[in-house]
Amino acid sequence: MNNLSRRSFVSFALASTSLLAMPAISTGSARPKVVVVGGGAGGATAARYIAKDSKGAIDVTLIEASKHYYTCFYSNLYLGGFRDYDSIGHSYDNLSANHGVNVVHDWAISVDPSARKVRLGSGATVSYDRLVLSPGIDIKYDSIDGYSVEAQTKMPHAWKSGTQVKVLRDQVLNMPKGGTFAMVPPPNPYRCPPGPYERISMVAHILKEKNPTAKIVVIDPKNKFSKQGLFMAGWEKHYPGMVEWIDNDTHGGIKNVNPETMEIETDLDTFKADVACVVPAQRAGAIAMNAGVTDGDWSPIVPASMQTKADGNIYVLGDASVASAMPKSGFSANSQAKVAANHIRGELTDSRVFPAKFSNTCWSLVATNDGIKVGANYKAGEEKIEVVDKFVSKTDEGNAKRKKTYEESIGWYNGITTDMFS
Amino acid sequence: MVKIVFKFFIIISCYLIFRGLVAEPLLDGADFDYGEYLSGQCLTCHQNSSDEGIPAINGAEAIYIAKKLILYKNKELENEVMQLVAGALDQEQIASLAIYFNSLEK
Repeated sequence: MNNLSRRSFVSFALASTSLLAMPAISTGSARPKVVVVGGGAGGATAARYIAKDSKGAIDVTLIEASKHYYTCFYSNLYLGGFRDYDSIGHSYDNLSANHGVNVVHDWAISVDPSARKVRLGSGATVSYDRLVLSPGIDIKYDSIDGYSVEAQTKMPHAWKSGTQVKVLRDQVLNMPKGGTFAMVPPPNPYRCPPGPYERISMVAHILKEKNPTAKIVVIDPKNKFSKQGLFMAGWEKHYPGMVEWIDNDTHGGIKNVNPETMEIETDLDTFKADVACVVPAQRAGAIAMNAGVTDGDWSPIVPASMQTKADGNIYVLGDASVASAMPKSGFSANSQAKVAANHIRGELTDSRVFPAKFSNTCWSLVATNDGIKVGANYKAGEEKIEVVDKFVSKTDEGNAKRKKTYEESIGWYNGITTDMFS
Repeated sequence: MVKIVFKFFIIISCYLIFRGLVAEPLLDGADFDYGEYLSGQCLTCHQNSSDEGIPAINGAEAIYIAKKLILYKNKELENEVMQLVAGALDQEQIASLAIYFNSLEK
């Protein structure tokens, strides 16, 4: 902890005992203050870029409950046995050491937009000139009858990386011979559009080797999905006869799930699973709701800056935002963070503000050395973020190209995690 | 052979630009601050920490970066992501990125 953050810590500690008596909490500096909530691809990138590029002119505090961040991207590759669990975990130490970011490991409980303060789980408050919320998603547990917080151990969603993915991997590895793995993907919009289908590929990869008579049934609340042709061709090529995908029109809708009997009931049939990954509908993380910057489940933003439409002092990044054409992905959040960081620096230090430029690429692994990708770049329209140009892998491209795409994804993983945490 | 000639051309060009003997129109209008901002888009993938899968580009010659970006923009080099990124860059943006990445330590 450097001197500044040590002083800040003392301030927080004092603040926590005398909140009502002392509404204005100093973080030990007269510099403009930016508070970032959430240390994922949006928040960690925003904190790092604001601190790095302002060269100490802005006091940046990052509030993140976890001391170690396990990336959601590549958690499927851990599931499939392509990565060690430790290799997808990252620490925040360099953000403090290299850029002077005050990293506070706590929960942000509430926001008072008029007083420009964030209250933490410890009871302390921290004041801001600009607030960046990058809380990711919350799971809507009640969106599927029978699903609940308690159910998530028996039917893990594993949609926030971390220990749930470990639980799911153990369940897949210990599945009875010839058993059934059921996957219930989420309805739109949700974090990581190709994610459920990469997950199916990774489970199939394990089963092909360890449990080749097992089956995978996908009970989808949608009738189409991201990179559908590429995934389905890949399943047929690498795992013939193993994966059955059932669209919403065919099964007629998911009525309920039962974690005790491991059954998933639809209009068409009741499916019995040995292992089930159930990913419910999602919404913006609770702190965005609390800050009053959401409309429905997500937070509308101004495309040129990522400021919320509700409050110009509050920016929302990544999954929690309504980014229109941009998918909810780590790459998108990282891209949006740089636009917001540039805008915030301009507002607080009069540095130059450049036009917003966004991009995204989602790589997915279908099987060993079979990587596919979809990508686009975007511009800020008046009301929405709009696509400029896009591409997607082709079904008939050769094995060498697919291998190269997978290798490129490793480069991207190293790149984005360095861009977030170094 | 083509590669060797290309490299030789780049080295000579860089030397001449360095000596101020030849103006390089590809780098006209380069704006360092703009390059720094635009580099954010590149740094999601390109990092000095690793060359695996995606090359490190810090400290590369400015003219080399500019020419590569133009080749991707014109789809004369393969890679969908790079064609997309470069396709959306104008000459000033390419020049700005080129001088910014050139300024970074290898």
